[in-house]
Amino acid sequence: MSEKILAYKRENGNLGIRNYVAIIPVDDLSNNAAESVAKIIKGTIALSHPYGRLQFGEDLNLHFRTLIGNGANPNVAAAIIIGIEPNWAKKIADGIAKTGKPVAYFGIEGYGLLKTIERASRKAKEFVQFATAQEKIEANLSDLIISFKCGESDTTSGLAGNPTAGRVAERLTAEGGTVIMGETSETTGAEHILAQHFATKELSDKYLKIHRDYLKIIEDSGEDLLGSQPTEGNIAGGLTTIEEKALGNIQKAGRKEKVLIQSVLGLAEKPQTKGLHFMDSSSAAAEYITLMGAAGAVLHLFITGQGNIVGNPIIPVIKITANPKTVTEMSEHIDVDVSGILTNEINLDQAADKVLDALTAAARGQFTAAEVLGQQEFVLTRLYPSA
Amino acid sequence: MADHKFLIHEKNDSVGVAIININEGDIAKGIFLTDNGSIEITAAASIPLGHKIALHPIKAGEFVIEYGEKIGRAFKDIAKGDLVHTHNLKSIHWIKK
Repeated sequence: MSEKILAYKRENGNLGIRNYVAIIPVDDLSNNAAESVAKIIKGTIALSHPYGRLQFGEDLNLHFRTLIGNGANPNVAAAIIIGIEPNWAKKIADGIAKTGKPVAYFGIEGYGLLKTIERASRKAKEFVQFATAQEKIEANLSDLIISFKCGESDTTSGLAGNPTAGRVAERLTAEGGTVIMGETSETTGAEHILAQHFATKELSDKYLKIHRDYLKIIEDSGEDLLGSQPTEGNIAGGLTTIEEKALGNIQKAGRKEKVLIQSVLGLAEKPQTKGLHFMDSSSAAAEYITLMGAAGAVLHLFITGQGNIVGNPIIPVIKITANPKTVTEMSEHIDVDVSGILTNEINLDQAADKVLDALTAAARGQFTAAEVLGQQEFVLTRLYPSA
Repeated sequence: MADHKFLIHEKNDSVGVAIININEGDIAKGIFLTDNGSIEITAAASIPLGHKIALHPIKAGEFVIEYGEKIGRAFKDIAKGDLVHTHNLKSIHWIKK
């Protein structure tokens, strides 16, 4: 495999395939300023979100970790942080500055909206000229961190889409690549099988424990996930139970003879080694990809059945589907059609070739369908309500 | 175009997955992903693309098997060739205590 890509080598040596100047609001109040800067200064992107006030404890830590991680992401050349108060803005800026990339922060209090927009815009102009002076270097697809998740899954996901992703994971990791999967709730009913895919017994036990803890939260709440897992879309696509969905989902891990999972990551945690990793995470698409951005993923492979349309502001999302109906009805969202697996026209390895080609093209600079269509969901995960 | 209409993950599965809309009364060919072996079943109901067809009769209370694994429990008797979905199959998980 020699998927040659063109990448930006950041100050800390990490490789990115996009070159954004991110304008990151610390809190809901600062979205207006961030979006105004992004309107005025070409080449910038605002990562708006509705949170960041009166959060505390681990929920606040996750808020900081997710914003710092996304600012530190190698697809971001430079970052500007805007908060209502300067202290939290500084904390996020300091976290991002550890990468060595240009970062600046602005507090709105004491200046007002208009002066903040002007100050941040002047800095953003500088940063865009810095970013656009960066030149790409040749690298390999396996030098990147790539995340995987499926969504609006149906039975074609388990038959073909996810096994194709599994082959892609096998081939990327064989070349020294880094792949992150996750979706704790969606492994329910297949956890005894996924548990065999971890590199050590300790890791396997760690995964089984987080899965058990997760089920306990649901049980203790007196609720169940019927109606959510599987979703209405899953059921319309033929999936009946969470077990069936999970057995299809875990196909993304590849064959255990070929690849094993090297770590169990916490939310928004960056992998420390190459290879395949499992993040203890929600299965909600936009939240998940936002967490992956914080973990350093620069490219995302999204396997869909019925046609989830999710994108991300800083991570190109490649969509594949094996459902011929979705290929036709949702054509503008689909980057790779692997429906030929169902009809025996192509095998899983040939489908993996098609996906690797699409990942390579995106990593050389071609926009994915989600990028062209402007799907830019940036969604922060919350652990509990604000104070 | 292929002449098969459904796929079966594993040898001991009790369901196959339609890769095309199957009409009630159709004699549908299914292929095993494990060894490309095939079977034929007369559809006892319409089986839309992506939905499951019973490969043999399944009694209420029995597990339904796909991927060689339990995907839930039948809560009604299911005839060979019938549609297997939320009207006759339920998860073993997510049951309120």
